[in-house]
Amino acid sequence: MADVAAIEMIGLRKTYGSTEAVCGLALQVPKGSIYGFLGRNGAGKTTTIKMLLGMVAPTAGDARVFGLSIRDREASVEIRRRTGFVSEEKDLYDYMTVAEIVAFTAAFYPRWRRDLAQKYLRSFELPPDRKVKALSRGMRTKLALLLALSRGAEALVLDEPTSGLDPAMTEEVLQAIVAHVAEEELTVFFSSHQIGEVDQIADRVAIVDRGRTVVAGALEDLRERYRRIQLVFDGEAPDPVFRTPGVVRTHRRGRVLTVLASDAADRIVEETRALRPVSVDVLPVTLKEIFLETVAAEE
Amino acid sequence: MLWYKAWLETRWRFLIGLALLVCAAAGVVFSYPKVVKLLAMVPTVDVGGELGRRIREGTELARTYRGYAWSQWFNQQLSNTWTLFAVLIGSGGLLTQSSGGAALFTLSLPVSRDRVLATRAALGLGEVLILAVVPSLLIPALSPAVGERFSVGDALVFSACMFLAGAVFFSLAVLLSTVFADVWRPLLISIAAAIALGIAEEVFRDAWPLGIFRAMSGERYFHGGGLPAGGILLSVTASVAMLYAAAMNNRRRDF
Repeated sequence: MADVAAIEMIGLRKTYGSTEAVCGLALQVPKGSIYGFLGRNGAGKTTTIKMLLGMVAPTAGDARVFGLSIRDREASVEIRRRTGFVSEEKDLYDYMTVAEIVAFTAAFYPRWRRDLAQKYLRSFELPPDRKVKALSRGMRTKLALLLALSRGAEALVLDEPTSGLDPAMTEEVLQAIVAHVAEEELTVFFSSHQIGEVDQIADRVAIVDRGRTVVAGALEDLRERYRRIQLVFDGEAPDPVFRTPGVVRTHRRGRVLTVLASDAADRIVEETRALRPVSVDVLPVTLKEIFLETVAAEE
Repeated sequence: MLWYKAWLETRWRFLIGLALLVCAAAGVVFSYPKVVKLLAMVPTVDVGGELGRRIREGTELARTYRGYAWSQWFNQQLSNTWTLFAVLIGSGGLLTQSSGGAALFTLSLPVSRDRVLATRAALGLGEVLILAVVPSLLIPALSPAVGERFSVGDALVFSACMFLAGAVFFSLAVLLSTVFADVWRPLLISIAAAIALGIAEEVFRDAWPLGIFRAMSGERYFHGGGLPAGGILLSVTASVAMLYAAAMNNRRRDF
């Protein structure tokens, strides 16, 4: 199941005048995965999501969602029929009540899950008669999530789903997503600049920076492959050029040389033996370190 | 449900317009007895030039109830107020919502942009049709109260002329709403265009037989010359072209 792509981006590109927002993204989001799309503000995450849902036209390249091209207008409608979406700003119709917007949205989805809508109305404690404009940021997020989760969708596309929420509300929203995915078996593609939440719920991750993918893969695999190699020397640490591929970044500070390896840590360690270090330590790295180091390496 | 959404977004503009026009139509009918009394004084007013011509023209029209109702209602009050509300109802839409944010929710629904625009335009046209017809039908309905009669058929023809020829201003507002992301520019530019066109038609009255405002008021029909088919055709063609351009703009736009 995991080898079938629910979303596939093929050299996806978007430019606004001379500014490149997305520069040839190539990603595969396997069916059934929870895919974290991680990047700093302005990295091109929202533009990418908007392209997937037909809100922004790509300048070049293509993407396929459920095998349907985003460039085809009719296919784009079908993609949206099978996808639940929550925008970063949780944009909804302020002039409708909670009950009205639920009924309004339900009318567009043949597979609308009335049972789920009722369940989330209760569990999120959303007042049906209250106008959307009178909801707090947290309540609005929960309502947007209810509308996305109840669509009977095969995929959820969430743009910064927890932005602007306090830690308790963030946890509640993330738990709701995880619980829903566990029950419904769908694909989740969510953007975030919060490394913690990606680390918490994603099983796969792509780190993007300035519209480019800098790291992509299964989170476990990344944790397995990435290593921090710390070398201590007698005197000033050398500034070597490594022949072994996989060195993302090196740091020198006094007698210590730190190497971040994205792969083949053993062979890199072997190569460092020639530098005659006093000690060599190979340490695991967190997603946060991978993010910070790879994004910094891009600079 | 897109109909429902479009209705919620335009209902206050429509209902206020309807209330205002209904009151204005009633005012026109119930003012007639006073106008008749004032008419006796008009021969003593001797003013030359354009102003004099207009007073004399207005006086002549008011000597018959049909002329009074047409000049006061269809040629002036309905024409001006209806145009304003046609523009108000035509303004807004996806792009305006995008500045407020709700556009992304609409665009995430499994409907095409063409359908979103078509629904809004169709509902808006329905509303402006009601604004043209319902208050105008009050003229024949209330006329017996002041001892006069006005043909229902005439009221329907005049209001049809108002709608068909005047829809061009609605369409202009719809088109401009796909260009500008705020409500004000489409609104103000459309109103400015209507005022400029009205002045131009008045200044070049004889050289401009297909005037939109003349077609809207059904002036030719009032004078017994048949329907203003040329003016209506011109306006309807322009309306369709502008709605098509609005759809093309909507398709191309990034949100």
